[in-house]
Amino acid sequence: MKKVEIFDPAMCCSTGVCGPTVDPELTRIASAVYSLEKKGFAISRHNLTDDPGAFVDNKQVNQVLVDKGPDALPVVLVNGKVVKIAEYPTTEELAEWFETAPSELQEKPRVRVSLNINN
Amino acid sequence: MYSLFNPNQMAVTPFLFFTGKGGVGKTSTACATAVALADQGKKVLLVSTDPASNLQDVLEVELTNDPKPIPSVANLSACNIDPEQAAKAYKESVVGPYRGKLPDAVLATMEEQLSGACTVEIAAFDEFSHLLADEEILAQYDHVLFDTAPTGHTLRLLQLPTAWSGFLEDSTHGASCLGPLAGLEGKKALYKKAVDSLSDGDKTTLILVARPDNSSLLEADRASFELKEIGIKNQLLIVNGLLQSHQPEDRVSTAFYKRQRAAIEQTPEALKQVMTYSLPYVSYSLTGVENLRHLFSSYAITSFETEEEGEPLDLPGLNSVIDDFSEHNTRVIFTMGKGGVGKTSVASAIAVGLSEKGHQVHLTTTDPAAHLAYTFEGSGIRDNLSISSINPDIEVARYKETVIEQAGSGMTEEELAYLKEDLESPCTEEIALFQAFAKVVEKSENEIVVIDTAPTGHTLLLLDSTEAYHKEMSRSTGDVPDSVKKLLPRLRNPKETGVVIVTLAEATPVLEAARLEEDLKRAGIEPKWWVINQSLYATNTADAVLRGRAISEKKWICKVDAELAEKCAIIPWLEEEKIGYDQLKEFIL
Repeated sequence: MKKVEIFDPAMCCSTGVCGPTVDPELTRIASAVYSLEKKGFAISRHNLTDDPGAFVDNKQVNQVLVDKGPDALPVVLVNGKVVKIAEYPTTEELAEWFETAPSELQEKPRVRVSLNINN
Repeated sequence: MYSLFNPNQMAVTPFLFFTGKGGVGKTSTACATAVALADQGKKVLLVSTDPASNLQDVLEVELTNDPKPIPSVANLSACNIDPEQAAKAYKESVVGPYRGKLPDAVLATMEEQLSGACTVEIAAFDEFSHLLADEEILAQYDHVLFDTAPTGHTLRLLQLPTAWSGFLEDSTHGASCLGPLAGLEGKKALYKKAVDSLSDGDKTTLILVARPDNSSLLEADRASFELKEIGIKNQLLIVNGLLQSHQPEDRVSTAFYKRQRAAIEQTPEALKQVMTYSLPYVSYSLTGVENLRHLFSSYAITSFETEEEGEPLDLPGLNSVIDDFSEHNTRVIFTMGKGGVGKTSVASAIAVGLSEKGHQVHLTTTDPAAHLAYTFEGSGIRDNLSISSINPDIEVARYKETVIEQAGSGMTEEELAYLKEDLESPCTEEIALFQAFAKVVEKSENEIVVIDTAPTGHTLLLLDSTEAYHKEMSRSTGDVPDSVKKLLPRLRNPKETGVVIVTLAEATPVLEAARLEEDLKRAGIEPKWWVINQSLYATNTADAVLRGRAISEKKWICKVDAELAEKCAIIPWLEEEKIGYDQLKEFIL
């Protein structure tokens, strides 16, 4: 099975709503990654703000950053090789990499833990 | 009128939170209350979050974030938590380890994401939740006083289940405004306890502090409603700085008195239901323990004069600001400052002044349209001055709708609730307004545009990096509007854009304005003028109380003029609150 890693730019949230503009791309990717993870596929996402270590440890990503700066993010790796720079994979690309149907990748994320801090 | 606030004559809960916008006197009120309780023999801890460490001047002691006894007041300890420092420390803990390992430009994008107002707010909450939940602290002190309170936005975020499950379970759906709390899941129980203490009326009183003016009372009303909704119901209101009497023969004193009384009559209905006390307007600045003790004995004037009148200051009026912009043909003018300093009046006066000089001017304000229409009604307004208004409520609502439409599809109900709360953050309003006035600027290519609000440096930097980012991202559909893209470079060009910082000659407003300026400089914008508004010093009042205040303004005027401003102008306190076109005209000539 293929292994896909997405290295996100610095953002305060993965849905992008808190930024100065809203990017539906981010919502799409969040949902697709969630669906794939749930099906047990090897896909992971690293946000520069939360997980900067991943951007150091991965030599390929680090090199892209040194060469091209932060504008090169997001960087997408398939089996450890850089396949995309400065853009997210399309739903079709993801489906192809994991040999599944694009329609399988639109599952809505569910929140698993429910805790009311007031109770 | 209201009875005087006096902690010696009321039952006091263990926790007291003082809340209100900058400059209403939270710190001095909290301080005076702490001293009064300590004088009764109670063990008191005063917690300040004042980034300027005003409290250190007030108590005349160096403070740290560890409680420390105050030598001049038996039974009183104090500590100072600087939320900006806490936020900075948090930011450094995230970014620091990667210096040298990641390119500087990459680190800069991380830092900016962690530089928002929310980061500071949450960092502050994180700091004082320890004090609220710590049993040992409660055992040690009878009262713990905080000179600030968490906002409704912070507390609501903490109550949303997604806020916690987000961190705990699923990093890909992490939080935004709660950034600084990420990875601190061990604190869940602590925060829960802190929130419980806050909403327990036997433990906590929320003290809303307001000035007797319309905008301050409206603000208190909003805070009261918001915090009541979240369960903090034990509230009281202090109207701070109420002039007790006036000299009928002194025009300034009479107008000052009448304006305050009129504002109080217009107190919002809901706020009228809150138990209300007042504190007198005093001539002395509330520094030093003796002055604090004076406050509850309601002496308006100290027996000892601490400040000398000294040499008179000579600063230009607003007409110099207008001449400067007129000569240099500045195209876009922003007036900025915290609420209540009179940004709209200053923007209006600049617009009127420029139109009198023959320029085509467009004035756009975020004040409700009705107000401006009223202000200029029936006056000899020139046809080279046009006015429009941006209603923040409508703009924010529209922006939220767009966001939810674009990003909300495919989300679960819980996620949608979280998204909606994210949109309640102060950044949202800023961005919505910025987009709205970028549109106005775009439409008025042949006019000078005067705007009574300005974006913060943080918003500008975020917009800027987003734009650069989107240039690279061909596929992206979440785009910065064209009008915003065009405005960004113009803002940085001092030949085209002038930023005027409006402040009052008092400690907190000056320090807050200095922070605004720092933030703008970060984004490459140098404010050109500082305008000190509503200065009693610049009037000729003979009223003893007001004169005392006027003298205490001097120190702040000097600080602005000598240390902060490139150019500084001053506007005297005006007798009319809503000045019409003709008064504006008279005033700027």
